[in-house]
Amino acid sequence: MTPHELQLARISNDLFDVALFAYIAAMLGYFAHLAFHRDLVWVASRAVLILGLASHLGAIVARGLAAGRVPWGNMYEYSTLLAFLVVLAYVVIVEGIFRSRALGGFALMFAVLTMAVAAEFLYVGPGPLVPALNSYWIKIHVVAAILGSSLFALGGGVLTIAYLVKDARERRERAEPAARILPPIMGASLDVSEPPHYVPDTGEPSGTIDPSPRRSGILPPSSVLDQMAYRTIAFAFPIWTFAVIAGAIWAQQAWGRYWGWDPKETWSFITWTIYAGYLHARATAGWRGRRAAVIALVGFGSLLVTYYVVNPWIAGLHSYRGF
Amino acid sequence: MRTALILLFLLGAGSVVGSLVPQIPNSPDRVARFQVDHPILGDFYRHAGFFDVFGSWWFILIATLLFLSLVMCLLPRTRAALRSIRQPPIQAREIDAFPQYAERTVTAAPELAIDSSERVLRRRMFRVRRSEGALAAEKGSLREIGSLLFHWSFLLLLAGVIYGKGTGFTGRAAVVEGQTWTDGAANYDGTIREGRFFSGRFTGVGVHLVSFEDTYRTTGVPMDFVSHVQLLNPDGSSAGFADLRVNHPAEIDGLRIFQYGFGWAPVVQVSRGAQVIFSGPVAFGQDQPPPGVPQLALPWNGVVKAPFIGAGLGIQLTLWPDSGAYVQFRTTGQPVPMTRAIHPIMFFTSWRGPLVDPSPRFLDTSVLQRWTSGAVGEGRTCDLATGACWRAGSRRAGARELTISFPSIRQYSVLQVSRDAGVPIVLVAAILVLVGVLPALYSSRRKVWVRAEPNGKGTTLRVGGFALQRKPQFEDEFSKLVDELRRASEEIRVS
Repeated sequence: MTPHELQLARISNDLFDVALFAYIAAMLGYFAHLAFHRDLVWVASRAVLILGLASHLGAIVARGLAAGRVPWGNMYEYSTLLAFLVVLAYVVIVEGIFRSRALGGFALMFAVLTMAVAAEFLYVGPGPLVPALNSYWIKIHVVAAILGSSLFALGGGVLTIAYLVKDARERRERAEPAARILPPIMGASLDVSEPPHYVPDTGEPSGTIDPSPRRSGILPPSSVLDQMAYRTIAFAFPIWTFAVIAGAIWAQQAWGRYWGWDPKETWSFITWTIYAGYLHARATAGWRGRRAAVIALVGFGSLLVTYYVVNPWIAGLHSYRGF
Repeated sequence: MRTALILLFLLGAGSVVGSLVPQIPNSPDRVARFQVDHPILGDFYRHAGFFDVFGSWWFILIATLLFLSLVMCLLPRTRAALRSIRQPPIQAREIDAFPQYAERTVTAAPELAIDSSERVLRRRMFRVRRSEGALAAEKGSLREIGSLLFHWSFLLLLAGVIYGKGTGFTGRAAVVEGQTWTDGAANYDGTIREGRFFSGRFTGVGVHLVSFEDTYRTTGVPMDFVSHVQLLNPDGSSAGFADLRVNHPAEIDGLRIFQYGFGWAPVVQVSRGAQVIFSGPVAFGQDQPPPGVPQLALPWNGVVKAPFIGAGLGIQLTLWPDSGAYVQFRTTGQPVPMTRAIHPIMFFTSWRGPLVDPSPRFLDTSVLQRWTSGAVGEGRTCDLATGACWRAGSRRAGARELTISFPSIRQYSVLQVSRDAGVPIVLVAAILVLVGVLPALYSSRRKVWVRAEPNGKGTTLRVGGFALQRKPQFEDEFSKLVDELRRASEEIRVS
């Protein structure tokens, strides 16, 4: 490695740290916004979040320059790119399209955990690609796979968990509709007539089929969360399908067969079947809502296995050890 | 659909088993080791087909049922879709009962208002049916067509897979530098997997391995593996040269040839006196490394068999391509990857007795008697009986003396050779899957009705509509559509 490349690698690591700390700060800010509903807190958190994103992008670009190739050639790089795309997808989809601010902390928590695991357990210095990965298909297959994964992580993970939590709460409230004294939060007593939780005019989407007369809780209504999760997953599904197909084309070139039930192939197929099942389940009576959400969550679990279990633990061609 | 869904999940669950239990087609060594380590569980797995999930009867049964259920779903849906495409949209009786409804008063006469509304709807890609003073319009049948295309494509995919795998084969061939391999039934070292309908005809084309190069960075990370080969037609004439790399296969006569692996092939010569009993390169293999040890730090193992010496003579050989690495491993216990041959050294153990195992790679020592052992370096010759060694050619062996020589070391390249005529079909099917999934997920079916009824001053334009999917977006689209319909009718008066 030339001194120039070493310096770039160091810059990349520093920017990574800046991004990680910015995400942590923004995550705390988003949670504070959930608790206290101060617009200023949200504005500040969002600014820190954008700063983190910019720094993260810088880290990824510097990493690519240091290695002299695309910056997604090993587990560490996949993980950091995944975290970046999850945060970006959150900003674009949840805040941009759905106009919801309540879920930033949860999306950032996923990104922070992913980055922490990457930095702690998966870090390797920038280096050239092993021959098995050295193909232009790495640009197509891997980008599609990470993009699909990040959208699944957001839709099938973060948004679905939020939906299930909110749905459970709404069910509970429907079961006991009598006015109930809310437990005090952090020692403060609350005015039950006007719970300071969900405020419709903060730009949050309003629920359309929320039967409970009193909107409560800090999350958007479950029907809205359900829509957000569904549309994110429906966006991710064709991308994931494409990633699997592109991977098969690459495998045909590299290994002489387009499908060989290699562990990575198998698990990406499992993830695909689960989300295909999710999309069908939503169109089937009796499977909508909670059951479909559980399927999406299982898909998220399968995605995590595809990423974090298959590569290091199950020997296969995707272990990237060379021959 | 529920049956298909459950079958799909069962297929996924079966795949989980297939990814956790070692699979015979992917890693036969690990299956064998598993059966030794866990005899009872191994027996159960074997009977349940867990060692070859994706070829097991129950996996194929689930897949078959899934496709069957898919077809049963698709046939009526396809028939209905074809009918609804041919059928013009149907007029509705009470259009003010639809979720979206609006009335606008325009000055144009009813007939003209309907004219202009029809034009607007057609411009917006609606299919329109017109009757007296009323329009029925529909859009978004692409959703169903896309969904049907998506699902039918899986049947095409299946057909491509079955055709390609059924009539094709895949196998591996080890070719030593300087040698030529010919595509023929006997030349795949038992690694060939033929499809059920494989014709059994091999092409007879040849691959001559000119040289193999494996290069590494100073860190030991592999940089490149390349086989420089000459491709030969069945009659032996040259069909050109090619560099086989990972990700860069070559193709000849419908065969695709891929760089798959490599190894060391020391040239071994066993002689009795001046009579050469065995001579030639022997392809050596490696064991699975223990965790944390790089594969290339392990020594390489090979066998030489001489069945006609006495009751039989078998020699087990262990090669250290880099004797420095061997010394370092012996003194420090540190495994060192051996990426190049530097003063290679081979340890031998010879056995006497009947050679019952016909495999060229393994020696069944249970019925043999251990005879002698020693080490031979490159360019040296050793007496098998005494272990005494000398530089090759510096001494002449006695007439009955058994000797082993190690004149030189070469590399071999493992090529994966396959024929799969179904690949283009599979590719087309995969593309159709993608083409179908986009409208199936993102387009929505919308229906709109327009009536124009005369009132005192002009016309009341009544518009009703609903969407089967993406209802919130339709509200927006509907209000814009109503505005446009009104404006279109107003413009008639102006012109």
